[in-house]
Amino acid sequence: MRSHQGKCGYLRLDGYPSNGLEQVSDSGIDKTFLKDQFPELIDLSDSHHASRSQQGDLLTLIELPQFQSPQQAGLMGMDPRVKNQLEALQLHPDRHLHFGRDPELPNKDILEFKKLESFSLSLNASVWDPPSLNTLWFELVNGAYGDVYRAKALMNLPDGRSMFFNWIVSQESSQFIPLEEISAPNGRPASLSELVVQGKHLDGLRIQSTIDLCLLNDAVLEMHQMPLRDRQKEAIPST
Amino acid sequence: MNHAIISCLHANLPAAEAVLNDIDRQGIDTITCLGDLVGYGPQPNEVVELIRKRGIATCQGCWDEDIIDGLNACECSYPSQLAERRGHLAHQWTDDQLTDENKSFLASLPTSLRRDRLLFVHGSPNSQHEYLLPDMDAFAALERVETAGADILFCGHTHQPYVRELRDGSIRVRLQNADHGNDQGEELTLPMRKIVNAGSVGEPRHGSTNATYVIHNDATDEVEIKEVAYDVGRTCQAIVEAGLPKVFAWRLSHGFEFAEQAEDASHVCER
Repeated sequence: MRSHQGKCGYLRLDGYPSNGLEQVSDSGIDKTFLKDQFPELIDLSDSHHASRSQQGDLLTLIELPQFQSPQQAGLMGMDPRVKNQLEALQLHPDRHLHFGRDPELPNKDILEFKKLESFSLSLNASVWDPPSLNTLWFELVNGAYGDVYRAKALMNLPDGRSMFFNWIVSQESSQFIPLEEISAPNGRPASLSELVVQGKHLDGLRIQSTIDLCLLNDAVLEMHQMPLRDRQKEAIPST
Repeated sequence: MNHAIISCLHANLPAAEAVLNDIDRQGIDTITCLGDLVGYGPQPNEVVELIRKRGIATCQGCWDEDIIDGLNACECSYPSQLAERRGHLAHQWTDDQLTDENKSFLASLPTSLRRDRLLFVHGSPNSQHEYLLPDMDAFAALERVETAGADILFCGHTHQPYVRELRDGSIRVRLQNADHGNDQGEELTLPMRKIVNAGSVGEPRHGSTNATYVIHNDATDEVEIKEVAYDVGRTCQAIVEAGLPKVFAWRLSHGFEFAEQAEDASHVCER
């Protein structure tokens, strides 16, 4: 998307839960992250923009949660329900690639699931103690609260930054990417903050209670923000 | 003669028993313990009583001190809010469990022990709370050993065993004397000193679940770091049954190298 010269679009399609495999409802993490990185991004799930999917130079990232390899190669392997969703948006795929099957995609990203649980938590207005967040993420992706296959989050830090966290069990390490937009150091941030986890034997209550130990209260948050405000005042030249 | 040094037992009875059995099997009868008998683990009374029964010379660790003096340290002891709150849970639980007699024993422990040119402390000669990390600035490390008047400093607290030799050091002082308009200089060559960290019996963090301790030969100065396997599952089960945070059992069962570290590990608590 960074190297594409024209406009970029994003579309998240709903996946289809099947026996023993729980889908996570769309938390908006990806859309928020991409919109931050590409402010001109066109959200094709918004009906006002759907007609723009026909723009010739539009590069669209389509996200579809899927747990198993398609039974057939190429377009024949596409779930007809997905095809219908795309056609409603006047999108007609000419190729269908899949992790682990097609050489264009990394082979190690293939994972077959027989059973999958999900856990999600809204963390809007929450701000983390940074070293505690580091510990919680380490414990989470290393199995302290169940076998985690996938975890994704947007987390707020006391200096106003928001971080995108991304973990896939087949990868060696997590991705941590700071968002471009920084909140003003005035109380609790308004930006989206969510945690989504997929895996087996997830202990949501313990994840929640550990998170409670990591979040800053108003007094501590103010201790972090006051010097930031003072520095901002000093940086404004007097007239 | 060989003697053994153990540290950071953290109320883990199976680990303490396994290490003492290993030492006994080698015919070593001089053992020094560098403290932290309690904290995080599920058998604080049993571990204190084992050390008392064996008459093992012990100095006081930071956990032993906090159980007696209360949690009035500055916030330096914990590298994160999460670690602090978990630490407080473990502190409260341990405080509830420990008998008055065992608390009196912990209160009676000295902060350091000395045998000739060997000094035994929990954290550093400055404080039970100070971390002497293996990559600490060499000058600062040497200062800790030298000012304590020791050739070899035995410590624990980091839960990571290591042997660090401080050799080929020198200090050059050049004094500009304004009155006489000439420079005065002096160079001191420092003798070799050694810091030996015994790791941890009850909560190892060196990348393995094995308990660690150290054997030192006071004739040859040879140091050997020993690893001992023990029934980790038994301790983990006891942690869960005691109602301590399950993450303590998880951490122990993996022996993760990961350990939170304060931004300034050499900060000395000034309570």
